[in-house]
Amino acid sequence: MYDWKLPEIVDGMASATLENVYIGEGDTLKAGSKLFDISVDLSSAFTQECPPISYFRVIVREPVHVRRIHFKPGQTMDVGAVVALFASDPEEDPDAAAERPVRIATAGIMHHAGMWTASH
Amino acid sequence: MDRLPLTRLPLVLGPLEAPGFTILRSGIRWLVKDGHRCAPNELIAYCQLNLRRSGGKNVKLGDLDGDERTQVGLAARVGGRIHIRENVALGGYLNILEAEAWDPNCEICDLEPDADTHIGAVADAGRLRQILLSGRRVTEIAGAHSGLLPGWLGRSRGWWSEGGETPITLLSLGICDALALVLGEHNAFLELFAQIPQATHVVLHPDHPITPAAPVLLDQLNRTPEAFAAISKDLHDYLSRSTIAPNAHDFIFAGSLLSAMQKNPIMDSYNVILGTGVQRLHSAQAILLSVNAEPLGILRHRTLGFHLYIMPHHLAAAGPAIQAWLSSEFDVVLRTVLDIQKDYEALIDQVSAKTGAKLIVINRMSTSGREDVSDYSPFDKPLMNTLANVGAKEFNLMLHDIAEEREIFILDIDAIAAEVGGARNIPDGIHYGSEIQARLQDDLAAILDALRPVHA
Repeated sequence: MYDWKLPEIVDGMASATLENVYIGEGDTLKAGSKLFDISVDLSSAFTQECPPISYFRVIVREPVHVRRIHFKPGQTMDVGAVVALFASDPEEDPDAAAERPVRIATAGIMHHAGMWTASH
Repeated sequence: MDRLPLTRLPLVLGPLEAPGFTILRSGIRWLVKDGHRCAPNELIAYCQLNLRRSGGKNVKLGDLDGDERTQVGLAARVGGRIHIRENVALGGYLNILEAEAWDPNCEICDLEPDADTHIGAVADAGRLRQILLSGRRVTEIAGAHSGLLPGWLGRSRGWWSEGGETPITLLSLGICDALALVLGEHNAFLELFAQIPQATHVVLHPDHPITPAAPVLLDQLNRTPEAFAAISKDLHDYLSRSTIAPNAHDFIFAGSLLSAMQKNPIMDSYNVILGTGVQRLHSAQAILLSVNAEPLGILRHRTLGFHLYIMPHHLAAAGPAIQAWLSSEFDVVLRTVLDIQKDYEALIDQVSAKTGAKLIVINRMSTSGREDVSDYSPFDKPLMNTLANVGAKEFNLMLHDIAEEREIFILDIDAIAAEVGGARNIPDGIHYGSEIQARLQDDLAAILDALRPVHA
Protein backbone atom coordinates (compact mmCIF):
# COMPACT_ATOMS: atom_id res chain seq x y z
CA MET A 1 0.00 0.00 0.00
CA TYR A 2 1.04 3.55 -0.68
CA ASP A 3 -0.40 6.52 1.15
CA TRP A 4 -0.70 10.22 0.45
CA LYS A 5 -0.43 12.28 3.60
CA LEU A 6 -1.09 16.00 3.35
CA PRO A 7 2.40 17.52 3.20
CA GLU A 8 3.49 20.97 4.34
CA ILE A 9 3.31 22.48 0.87
CA VAL A 10 3.79 25.99 2.21
CA ASP A 11 6.08 26.55 5.18
CA GLY A 12 4.07 26.83 8.37
CA MET A 13 0.73 25.67 6.98
CA ALA A 14 -1.35 23.64 9.41
CA SER A 15 -4.18 22.37 7.23
CA ALA A 16 -5.81 22.48 3.82
CA THR A 17 -9.31 22.23 2.40
CA LEU A 18 -10.15 19.53 -0.10
CA GLU A 19 -11.59 21.32 -3.15
CA ASN A 20 -11.93 18.61 -5.80
CA VAL A 21 -11.61 14.86 -5.85
CA TYR A 22 -10.94 13.56 -9.37
CA ILE A 23 -10.76 9.88 -8.45
CA GLY A 24 -12.96 7.23 -6.87
CA GLU A 25 -12.21 4.16 -4.78
CA GLY A 26 -11.48 1.24 -7.11
CA ASP A 27 -10.23 3.43 -9.96
CA THR A 28 -7.15 2.43 -11.87
CA LEU A 29 -4.92 5.39 -12.54
CA LYS A 30 -2.11 5.91 -14.98
CA ALA A 31 0.88 8.13 -14.25
CA GLY A 32 -0.07 11.78 -14.68
CA SER A 33 -3.67 11.37 -13.45
CA LYS A 34 -5.26 14.19 -11.47
CA LEU A 35 -5.97 13.26 -7.84
CA PHE A 36 -7.10 16.32 -5.93
CA ASP A 37 -7.29 20.10 -5.87
CA ILE A 38 -6.70 21.56 -2.45
CA SER A 39 -6.62 25.05 -1.00
CA VAL A 40 -4.37 26.38 1.72
CA ASP A 41 -5.57 29.35 3.74
CA LEU A 42 -2.33 30.92 4.83
CA SER A 43 -3.98 32.65 7.76
CA SER A 44 -3.34 29.32 9.46
CA ALA A 45 0.36 29.90 8.95
CA PHE A 46 0.74 33.65 9.24
CA THR A 47 -1.00 36.16 11.47
CA GLN A 48 -2.07 38.66 8.88
CA GLU A 49 -5.26 40.36 7.95
CA CYS A 50 -4.86 39.51 4.30
CA PRO A 51 -4.65 35.76 4.06
CA PRO A 52 -4.04 34.84 0.43
CA ILE A 53 -5.49 31.46 -0.31
CA SER A 54 -3.32 29.28 -2.48
CA TYR A 55 -4.65 26.44 -4.59
CA PHE A 56 -2.74 23.34 -5.58
CA ARG A 57 -3.33 20.34 -7.82
CA VAL A 58 -1.96 16.97 -6.83
CA ILE A 59 -1.03 14.50 -9.59
CA VAL A 60 0.07 10.90 -9.28
CA ARG A 61 3.37 10.06 -10.95
CA GLU A 62 3.02 6.28 -11.10
CA PRO A 63 0.29 3.82 -12.13
CA VAL A 64 -1.77 2.86 -9.06
CA HIS A 65 -5.18 1.65 -7.92
CA VAL A 66 -7.23 3.81 -5.58
CA ARG A 67 -8.11 1.85 -2.43
CA ARG A 68 -9.39 4.44 0.05
CA ILE A 69 -10.25 8.16 0.06
CA HIS A 70 -10.69 9.53 3.58
CA PHE A 71 -11.96 13.05 2.88
CA LYS A 72 -14.71 14.77 0.90
CA PRO A 73 -14.72 18.17 -0.80
CA GLY A 74 -15.13 20.94 1.73
CA GLN A 75 -13.47 19.02 4.55
CA THR A 76 -10.38 20.34 6.31
CA MET A 77 -7.33 18.10 6.42
CA ASP A 78 -4.53 18.57 8.92
CA VAL A 79 -0.94 18.37 7.77
CA GLY A 80 0.10 14.75 8.12
CA ALA A 81 -3.42 13.35 7.73
CA VAL A 82 -3.70 10.34 5.45
CA VAL A 83 -5.87 11.61 2.62
CA ALA A 84 -5.91 8.50 0.44
CA LEU A 85 -4.46 5.04 0.07
CA PHE A 86 -3.24 3.49 -3.17
CA ALA A 87 -1.96 0.10 -4.22
CA SER A 88 -0.17 -1.54 -7.12
CA ASP A 89 -2.52 -4.53 -6.80
CA PRO A 90 -6.28 -3.76 -6.98
CA GLU A 91 -6.99 -6.50 -4.44
CA GLU A 92 -4.40 -5.43 -1.89
CA ASP A 93 -5.76 -5.15 1.67
CA PRO A 94 -6.41 -1.45 2.36
CA ASP A 95 -5.94 -2.11 6.08
CA ALA A 96 -2.35 -3.16 5.51
CA ALA A 97 0.35 -0.73 6.57
CA ALA A 98 1.55 1.66 3.87
CA GLU A 99 5.04 0.75 2.75
CA ARG A 100 5.81 4.18 1.29
CA PRO A 101 4.22 7.43 0.10
CA VAL A 102 2.67 7.39 -3.34
CA ARG A 103 4.71 9.34 -5.88
CA ILE A 104 3.01 12.62 -6.61
CA ALA A 105 3.64 16.04 -8.14
CA THR A 106 2.13 19.30 -6.91
CA ALA A 107 1.59 22.60 -8.72
CA GLY A 108 0.00 25.89 -7.78
CA ILE A 109 -3.21 26.47 -9.75
CA MET A 110 -5.79 29.20 -10.16
CA HIS A 111 -9.13 29.09 -8.40
CA HIS A 112 -11.79 27.66 -10.74
CA ALA A 113 -15.54 27.32 -10.88
CA GLY A 114 -15.47 23.59 -10.15
CA MET A 115 -13.96 24.02 -6.71
CA TRP A 116 -15.93 23.42 -3.56
CA THR A 117 -15.27 26.97 -2.37
CA ALA A 118 -16.65 28.38 -5.63
CA SER A 119 -20.16 27.32 -4.65
CA HIS A 120 -20.06 27.63 -0.85
CA MET B 1 37.43 71.81 11.09
CA ASP B 2 34.23 69.91 10.58
CA ARG B 3 35.08 66.50 12.05
CA LEU B 4 33.55 66.49 15.55
CA PRO B 5 33.02 62.89 16.64
CA LEU B 6 32.68 63.65 20.33
CA THR B 7 30.54 66.73 20.06
CA ARG B 8 26.94 66.62 21.17
CA LEU B 9 24.83 68.52 18.72
CA PRO B 10 21.52 69.89 20.08
CA LEU B 11 18.64 69.04 17.76
CA VAL B 12 15.75 71.49 17.46
CA LEU B 13 12.25 70.94 16.10
CA GLY B 14 12.70 73.35 13.21
CA PRO B 15 10.20 75.60 11.47
CA LEU B 16 6.67 74.55 10.58
CA GLU B 17 4.38 77.21 9.20
CA ALA B 18 0.66 77.52 8.56
CA PRO B 19 -0.12 81.20 7.98
CA GLY B 20 -3.23 82.30 9.83
CA PHE B 21 -2.91 79.43 12.29
CA THR B 22 -1.03 78.66 15.46
CA ILE B 23 0.38 75.16 15.32
CA LEU B 24 -0.12 73.21 18.54
CA ARG B 25 1.62 69.99 19.40
CA SER B 26 1.43 67.20 21.92
CA GLY B 27 4.37 66.11 24.03
CA ILE B 28 7.24 64.42 22.21
CA ARG B 29 6.63 60.69 21.85
CA TRP B 30 9.85 58.79 21.40
CA LEU B 31 10.22 55.92 18.96
CA VAL B 32 13.73 55.12 20.16
CA LYS B 33 15.38 54.72 23.54
CA ASP B 34 17.97 57.04 25.02
CA GLY B 35 21.34 56.07 23.56
CA HIS B 36 19.87 54.70 20.33
CA ARG B 37 22.19 54.98 17.34
CA CYS B 38 20.10 56.36 14.51
CA ALA B 39 20.70 56.44 10.79
CA PRO B 40 20.24 59.64 8.77
CA ASN B 41 16.54 60.28 8.07
CA GLU B 42 15.43 57.58 10.54
CA LEU B 43 12.37 58.65 12.50
CA ILE B 44 13.19 58.95 16.18
CA ALA B 45 10.10 60.67 17.62
CA TYR B 46 6.72 62.11 16.72
CA CYS B 47 3.92 64.20 18.13
CA GLN B 48 0.32 65.07 17.37
CA LEU B 49 -0.42 68.37 15.64
CA ASN B 50 -3.42 70.64 15.71
CA LEU B 51 -4.04 74.02 14.18
CA ARG B 52 -5.65 76.93 15.98
CA ARG B 53 -6.96 79.63 13.73
CA SER B 54 -5.47 82.88 14.94
CA GLY B 55 -8.01 84.41 17.29
CA GLY B 56 -10.35 81.48 16.75
CA LYS B 57 -11.00 77.93 17.81
CA ASN B 58 -8.92 74.84 17.10
CA VAL B 59 -9.27 73.27 13.70
CA LYS B 60 -7.82 70.11 12.29
CA LEU B 61 -5.81 70.02 9.10
CA GLY B 62 -9.11 68.61 7.89
CA ASP B 63 -10.46 72.12 7.68
CA LEU B 64 -7.81 72.61 5.08
CA ASP B 65 -8.01 69.27 3.36
CA GLY B 66 -10.36 66.70 4.81
CA ASP B 67 -7.76 65.03 7.03
CA GLU B 68 -8.73 64.70 10.64
CA ARG B 69 -5.47 63.69 12.26
CA THR B 70 -2.02 65.09 11.63
CA GLN B 71 1.26 64.08 13.18
CA VAL B 72 4.82 65.15 12.68
CA GLY B 73 7.63 62.62 12.71
CA LEU B 74 11.14 63.80 13.51
CA ALA B 75 14.38 62.49 12.02
CA ALA B 76 18.02 63.47 12.45
CA ARG B 77 19.80 64.59 9.30
CA VAL B 78 22.98 62.75 10.21
CA GLY B 79 23.59 59.44 11.88
CA GLY B 80 24.68 59.15 15.47
CA ARG B 81 23.74 58.38 19.04
CA ILE B 82 20.63 60.06 20.41
CA HIS B 83 20.61 61.49 23.93
CA ILE B 84 17.06 62.40 24.94
CA ARG B 85 16.59 65.63 26.88
CA GLU B 86 14.63 65.37 30.09
CA ASN B 87 11.41 67.27 30.51
CA VAL B 88 10.60 67.64 26.82
CA ALA B 89 7.44 65.65 27.41
CA LEU B 90 5.21 65.59 30.44
CA GLY B 91 3.88 62.19 29.49
CA GLY B 92 0.44 60.83 30.16
CA TYR B 93 -2.46 62.34 28.26
CA LEU B 94 -0.41 65.46 27.56
CA ASN B 95 1.57 63.34 25.14
CA ILE B 96 -1.69 62.83 23.25
CA LEU B 97 -3.38 66.21 23.48
CA GLU B 98 -2.03 69.11 21.46
CA ALA B 99 -1.43 71.63 24.24
CA GLU B 100 1.89 73.30 23.41
CA ALA B 101 2.58 75.86 20.74
CA TRP B 102 5.11 74.73 18.11
CA ASP B 103 8.47 76.29 18.91
CA PRO B 104 10.97 75.79 16.08
CA ASN B 105 13.87 76.39 18.47
CA CYS B 106 12.79 73.82 21.05
CA GLU B 107 15.70 71.43 21.70
CA ILE B 108 14.46 67.89 22.32
CA CYS B 109 17.64 65.83 22.22
CA ASP B 110 21.34 65.84 21.49
CA LEU B 111 23.10 63.90 18.79
CA GLU B 112 26.56 62.42 19.18
CA PRO B 113 27.48 62.13 15.50
CA ASP B 114 29.05 58.98 14.10
CA ALA B 115 32.82 59.23 13.94
CA ASP B 116 32.85 59.33 10.15
CA THR B 117 30.22 62.07 9.91
CA HIS B 118 31.22 65.47 8.60
CA ILE B 119 28.72 67.75 10.31
CA GLY B 120 29.88 70.75 8.35
CA ALA B 121 28.97 69.02 5.11
CA VAL B 122 25.32 68.68 6.12
CA ALA B 123 23.19 71.80 5.93
CA ASP B 124 21.13 72.50 9.05
CA ALA B 125 22.48 69.39 10.80
CA GLY B 126 21.10 70.66 14.13
CA ARG B 127 17.56 70.99 12.79
CA LEU B 128 15.40 67.88 12.80
CA ARG B 129 13.82 66.80 9.53
CA GLN B 130 10.05 66.58 9.70
CA ILE B 131 7.79 64.02 8.11
CA LEU B 132 4.19 65.12 8.24
CA LEU B 133 1.72 62.26 8.59
CA SER B 134 -1.93 62.83 8.00
CA GLY B 135 -4.94 60.53 8.04
CA ARG B 136 -8.55 60.78 6.96
CA ARG B 137 -10.74 58.45 8.98
CA VAL B 138 -13.42 56.35 7.35
CA THR B 139 -15.62 57.71 10.10
CA GLU B 140 -14.76 60.22 12.79
CA ILE B 141 -15.76 57.71 15.48
CA ALA B 142 -13.08 55.27 14.28
CA GLY B 143 -10.37 57.11 16.14
CA ALA B 144 -7.39 56.00 18.13
CA HIS B 145 -4.86 58.05 20.00
CA SER B 146 -1.77 55.95 20.13
CA GLY B 147 0.93 55.24 17.58
CA LEU B 148 1.65 56.54 14.13
CA LEU B 149 -1.31 57.04 11.80
CA PRO B 150 -3.74 55.38 14.22
CA GLY B 151 -7.38 54.50 13.66
CA TRP B 152 -9.38 53.25 10.69
CA LEU B 153 -8.14 55.45 7.87
CA GLY B 154 -9.61 55.75 4.40
CA ARG B 155 -6.61 57.76 3.27
CA SER B 156 -3.12 58.19 4.71
CA ARG B 157 -0.53 60.72 3.65
CA GLY B 158 3.05 61.50 4.45
CA TRP B 159 5.56 64.07 3.20
CA TRP B 160 8.87 65.63 4.05
CA SER B 161 8.11 69.15 5.22
CA GLU B 162 11.16 70.83 3.71
CA GLY B 163 10.14 73.98 1.95
CA GLY B 164 11.66 75.39 -1.20
CA GLU B 165 10.88 72.49 -3.48
CA THR B 166 7.45 71.26 -4.55
CA PRO B 167 7.08 67.60 -3.57
CA ILE B 168 6.23 65.01 -6.17
CA THR B 169 3.07 63.11 -5.21
CA LEU B 170 2.88 59.32 -5.35
CA LEU B 171 -0.62 57.86 -4.99
CA SER B 172 -0.69 54.21 -3.90
CA LEU B 173 -3.81 52.31 -4.96
CA GLY B 174 -2.52 48.79 -4.85
CA ILE B 175 -3.15 45.80 -2.61
CA CYS B 176 -0.81 44.31 0.01
CA ASP B 177 2.27 44.22 -2.22
CA ALA B 178 1.93 47.97 -2.80
CA LEU B 179 0.81 48.77 0.74
CA ALA B 180 3.89 47.10 2.19
CA LEU B 181 6.19 48.92 -0.20
CA VAL B 182 4.71 52.30 0.73
CA LEU B 183 3.64 51.97 4.37
CA GLY B 184 6.42 49.62 5.43
CA GLU B 185 6.83 47.65 8.61
CA HIS B 186 5.92 50.59 10.85
CA ASN B 187 2.79 51.34 8.87
CA ALA B 188 3.72 55.00 8.46
CA PHE B 189 5.89 55.35 5.33
CA LEU B 190 9.05 55.36 7.45
CA GLU B 191 11.28 53.02 5.46
CA LEU B 192 10.17 54.62 2.20
CA PHE B 193 11.03 58.11 3.40
CA ALA B 194 14.35 56.90 4.78
CA GLN B 195 15.04 55.65 1.24
CA ILE B 196 13.69 58.77 -0.50
CA PRO B 197 15.04 61.90 1.19
CA GLN B 198 13.94 64.20 -1.65
CA ALA B 199 10.73 66.24 -1.46
CA THR B 200 8.06 63.57 -1.80
CA HIS B 201 4.39 63.38 -0.84
CA VAL B 202 2.94 59.87 -0.57
CA VAL B 203 -0.80 59.22 -0.48
CA LEU B 204 -2.27 55.82 0.24
CA HIS B 205 -5.81 54.57 -0.18
CA PRO B 206 -6.31 51.15 1.38
CA ASP B 207 -7.63 48.18 -0.59
CA HIS B 208 -10.75 47.88 1.53
CA PRO B 209 -13.59 47.63 1.13
CA ILE B 210 -13.09 47.98 -2.63
CA THR B 211 -10.05 46.49 -4.30
CA PRO B 212 -8.54 48.94 -6.79
CA ALA B 213 -8.78 46.85 -9.96
CA ALA B 214 -8.62 48.82 -13.22
CA PRO B 215 -12.41 48.70 -13.96
CA VAL B 216 -13.13 49.97 -10.44
CA LEU B 217 -10.67 52.85 -10.90
CA LEU B 218 -12.11 53.70 -14.32
CA ASP B 219 -15.60 53.86 -12.77
CA GLN B 220 -14.31 56.07 -9.94
CA LEU B 221 -12.54 58.34 -12.39
CA ASN B 222 -15.73 59.00 -14.37
CA ARG B 223 -18.43 58.77 -11.68
CA THR B 224 -20.73 61.77 -11.50
CA PRO B 225 -22.59 62.84 -8.35
CA GLU B 226 -25.79 61.62 -10.04
CA ALA B 227 -24.27 58.20 -10.70
CA PHE B 228 -23.16 57.96 -7.11
CA ALA B 229 -26.63 58.94 -5.91
CA ALA B 230 -28.10 56.13 -8.04
CA ILE B 231 -25.70 53.60 -6.48
CA SER B 232 -26.54 54.83 -3.01
CA LYS B 233 -30.28 54.60 -3.75
CA ASP B 234 -29.92 51.09 -5.18
CA LEU B 235 -28.20 49.84 -2.04
CA HIS B 236 -30.67 51.64 0.21
CA ASP B 237 -33.65 50.25 -1.72
CA TYR B 238 -32.29 46.72 -1.63
CA LEU B 239 -31.64 46.79 2.10
CA SER B 240 -35.13 48.26 2.66
CA ARG B 241 -36.96 45.58 0.70
CA SER B 242 -34.71 42.63 1.46
CA THR B 243 -36.17 39.78 3.47
CA ILE B 244 -32.73 39.46 5.05
CA ALA B 245 -32.59 41.99 7.85
CA PRO B 246 -29.33 43.99 7.71
CA ASN B 247 -27.24 43.64 10.84
CA ALA B 248 -24.57 45.92 12.28
CA HIS B 249 -21.89 44.43 10.03
CA ASP B 250 -24.02 45.22 6.97
CA PHE B 251 -24.47 48.86 7.95
CA ILE B 252 -20.79 49.36 8.74
CA PHE B 253 -19.77 47.70 5.49
CA ALA B 254 -22.36 49.65 3.48
CA GLY B 255 -21.16 52.93 4.97
CA SER B 256 -17.51 52.24 4.24
CA LEU B 257 -18.38 51.01 0.73
CA LEU B 258 -20.34 54.13 -0.16
CA SER B 259 -17.73 56.35 1.42
CA ALA B 260 -15.00 54.78 -0.73
CA MET B 261 -17.13 54.88 -3.90
CA GLN B 262 -17.78 58.57 -3.44
CA LYS B 263 -14.07 59.32 -3.59
CA ASN B 264 -12.03 59.93 -6.72
CA PRO B 265 -8.44 59.57 -5.49
CA ILE B 266 -6.81 59.97 -8.89
CA MET B 267 -8.29 63.47 -9.20
CA ASP B 268 -7.63 64.54 -5.58
CA SER B 269 -5.52 67.61 -4.89
CA TYR B 270 -3.90 68.23 -1.52
CA ASN B 271 -2.76 70.75 1.04
CA VAL B 272 0.58 70.13 2.68
CA ILE B 273 2.09 72.02 5.60
CA LEU B 274 5.73 72.79 4.96
CA GLY B 275 8.44 74.63 6.82
CA THR B 276 7.59 77.60 4.64
CA GLY B 277 3.80 77.49 4.92
CA VAL B 278 0.86 75.63 3.43
CA GLN B 279 1.20 74.62 -0.20
CA ARG B 280 -1.50 73.33 -2.51
CA LEU B 281 -0.44 70.30 -4.55
CA HIS B 282 -2.16 69.16 -7.72
CA SER B 283 -3.23 65.58 -8.32
CA ALA B 284 -0.65 62.80 -8.10
CA GLN B 285 2.08 62.61 -10.73
CA ALA B 286 2.63 58.89 -10.15
CA ILE B 287 0.09 56.17 -9.32
CA LEU B 288 1.19 52.83 -7.89
CA LEU B 289 -0.93 49.77 -8.75
CA SER B 290 -0.63 46.00 -8.27
CA VAL B 291 -1.34 43.63 -11.12
CA ASN B 292 -2.30 41.19 -8.35
CA ALA B 293 -5.39 43.38 -7.82
CA GLU B 294 -6.79 42.31 -11.21
CA PRO B 295 -9.24 39.42 -10.84
CA LEU B 296 -10.24 37.03 -13.62
CA GLY B 297 -13.87 37.60 -12.59
CA ILE B 298 -15.28 40.94 -11.44
CA LEU B 299 -18.74 41.97 -10.24
CA ARG B 300 -20.77 44.27 -12.48
CA HIS B 301 -24.08 45.78 -11.36
CA ARG B 302 -26.88 44.48 -13.54
CA THR B 303 -28.64 47.79 -14.12
CA LEU B 304 -26.19 50.54 -13.16
CA GLY B 305 -23.17 48.90 -14.80
CA PHE B 306 -20.51 49.80 -12.24
CA HIS B 307 -17.88 47.32 -11.14
CA LEU B 308 -16.93 46.04 -7.72
CA TYR B 309 -14.12 43.81 -6.64
CA ILE B 310 -14.01 42.98 -2.97
CA MET B 311 -11.38 40.54 -1.81
CA PRO B 312 -12.80 37.55 0.06
CA HIS B 313 -11.16 38.40 3.38
CA HIS B 314 -12.73 41.87 3.25
CA LEU B 315 -16.08 40.56 2.06
CA ALA B 316 -16.13 38.31 5.10
CA ALA B 317 -16.63 41.48 7.18
CA ALA B 318 -19.99 42.17 5.49
CA GLY B 319 -23.24 40.90 6.95
CA PRO B 320 -25.78 38.68 5.18
CA ALA B 321 -27.77 41.52 3.59
CA ILE B 322 -24.73 42.95 1.77
CA GLN B 323 -23.74 39.45 0.67
CA ALA B 324 -27.29 38.99 -0.68
CA TRP B 325 -27.16 42.37 -2.47
CA LEU B 326 -23.95 41.38 -4.22
CA SER B 327 -25.39 37.99 -5.19
CA SER B 328 -28.71 39.25 -6.51
CA GLU B 329 -27.84 42.58 -8.10
CA PHE B 330 -24.48 41.82 -9.72
CA ASP B 331 -23.19 39.52 -12.44
CA VAL B 332 -19.73 38.03 -12.47
CA VAL B 333 -17.95 39.20 -15.62
CA LEU B 334 -15.08 36.92 -16.60
CA ARG B 335 -11.93 38.65 -17.85
CA THR B 336 -9.16 37.32 -20.03
CA VAL B 337 -5.65 38.73 -19.86
CA LEU B 338 -6.50 40.62 -23.04
CA ASP B 339 -9.53 42.18 -21.29
CA ILE B 340 -7.30 43.20 -18.39
CA GLN B 341 -4.78 44.67 -20.82
CA LYS B 342 -7.54 46.74 -22.45
CA ASP B 343 -8.72 47.97 -19.04
CA TYR B 344 -5.15 49.00 -18.15
CA GLU B 345 -4.73 50.77 -21.48
CA ALA B 346 -8.00 52.65 -20.99
CA LEU B 347 -6.91 53.62 -17.49
CA ILE B 348 -3.50 54.83 -18.70
CA ASP B 349 -5.09 56.87 -21.48
CA GLN B 350 -7.79 58.41 -19.30
CA VAL B 351 -5.46 59.23 -16.43
CA SER B 352 -2.99 60.72 -18.87
CA ALA B 353 -5.71 62.91 -20.38
CA LYS B 354 -7.19 64.01 -17.05
CA THR B 355 -4.11 64.50 -14.86
CA GLY B 356 -0.99 63.48 -16.79
CA ALA B 357 -0.03 60.99 -14.05
CA LYS B 358 2.11 57.97 -14.88
CA LEU B 359 1.22 54.47 -13.75
CA ILE B 360 3.72 52.30 -11.88
CA VAL B 361 2.61 48.66 -11.68
CA ILE B 362 4.03 45.92 -9.45
CA ASN B 363 4.09 42.71 -11.43
CA ARG B 364 3.50 39.21 -10.08
CA MET B 365 5.90 36.63 -8.71
CA SER B 366 5.80 33.76 -11.17
CA THR B 367 8.05 31.17 -9.55
CA SER B 368 6.97 29.73 -6.24
CA GLY B 369 9.87 27.32 -5.91
CA ARG B 370 7.46 24.66 -4.72
CA GLU B 371 6.55 22.91 -7.94
CA ASP B 372 7.78 19.60 -9.21
CA VAL B 373 5.67 19.18 -12.33
CA SER B 374 7.18 17.07 -15.09
CA ASP B 375 4.03 16.53 -17.16
CA TYR B 376 1.56 19.27 -18.02
CA SER B 377 -1.10 17.01 -19.53
CA PRO B 378 -3.18 16.79 -16.29
CA PHE B 379 -3.64 20.56 -16.35
CA ASP B 380 -6.57 22.01 -18.26
CA LYS B 381 -5.80 24.27 -21.17
CA PRO B 382 -5.19 27.12 -21.59
CA LEU B 383 -2.51 26.60 -18.99
CA MET B 384 -2.56 30.28 -17.99
CA ASN B 385 -6.08 29.77 -16.61
CA THR B 386 -5.00 26.71 -14.63
CA LEU B 387 -1.41 26.97 -13.51
CA ALA B 388 -0.78 29.93 -11.21
CA ASN B 389 2.83 30.34 -12.36
CA VAL B 390 1.90 30.35 -16.04
CA GLY B 391 -0.90 32.81 -15.31
CA ALA B 392 1.53 35.09 -13.49
CA LYS B 393 3.93 35.00 -16.45
CA GLU B 394 1.08 35.93 -18.81
CA PHE B 395 0.20 38.90 -16.59
CA ASN B 396 3.80 40.03 -16.54
CA LEU B 397 4.13 39.71 -20.31
CA MET B 398 0.91 41.70 -20.67
CA LEU B 399 2.52 44.58 -18.78
CA HIS B 400 5.49 44.49 -21.16
CA ASP B 401 3.09 44.52 -24.12
CA ILE B 402 1.45 47.63 -22.70
CA ALA B 403 4.86 49.23 -22.16
CA GLU B 404 5.60 48.80 -25.87
CA GLU B 405 2.84 51.25 -26.76
CA ARG B 406 2.30 53.38 -23.68
CA GLU B 407 4.33 54.93 -20.89
CA ILE B 408 4.07 52.65 -17.89
CA PHE B 409 6.66 51.76 -15.28
CA ILE B 410 6.96 48.17 -14.05
CA LEU B 411 8.24 47.31 -10.60
CA ASP B 412 9.65 43.87 -11.31
CA ILE B 413 9.05 41.88 -8.14
CA ASP B 414 9.28 38.73 -10.25
CA ALA B 415 12.90 39.44 -11.12
CA ILE B 416 13.76 40.52 -7.58
CA ALA B 417 12.18 37.37 -6.14
CA ALA B 418 14.12 35.24 -8.59
CA GLU B 419 17.35 36.90 -7.45
CA VAL B 420 16.82 36.73 -3.69
CA GLY B 421 14.65 33.60 -3.44
CA GLY B 422 10.88 33.72 -3.82
CA ALA B 423 9.91 30.83 -1.55
CA ARG B 424 11.85 32.30 1.36
CA ASN B 425 11.19 35.99 0.83
CA ILE B 426 7.61 35.88 -0.52
CA PRO B 427 6.33 32.69 1.08
CA ASP B 428 2.71 33.24 0.11
CA GLY B 429 3.35 34.96 -3.21
CA ILE B 430 2.17 38.39 -2.03
CA HIS B 431 3.70 39.41 1.29
CA TYR B 432 7.44 39.94 1.32
CA GLY B 433 10.28 40.58 3.74
CA SER B 434 12.50 43.59 4.21
CA GLU B 435 15.06 42.60 1.57
CA ILE B 436 12.50 42.66 -1.23
CA GLN B 437 10.84 45.72 0.30
CA ALA B 438 14.13 47.64 0.19
CA ARG B 439 14.84 46.54 -3.39
CA LEU B 440 11.39 47.64 -4.51
CA GLN B 441 11.79 50.96 -2.69
CA ASP B 442 15.11 51.50 -4.48
CA ASP B 443 13.46 50.90 -7.83
CA LEU B 444 10.49 53.10 -6.91
CA ALA B 445 12.83 55.90 -5.84
CA ALA B 446 14.57 55.73 -9.23
CA ILE B 447 11.22 55.96 -11.05
CA LEU B 448 10.14 58.94 -8.96
CA ASP B 449 13.46 60.63 -9.65
CA ALA B 450 12.83 60.21 -13.35
CA LEU B 451 9.41 61.84 -12.93
CA ARG B 452 10.57 64.79 -10.85
CA PRO B 453 10.42 68.09 -12.64
CA VAL B 454 13.82 69.27 -13.75
CA HIS B 455 14.75 72.62 -12.21
CA ALA B 456 16.99 74.93 -14.12
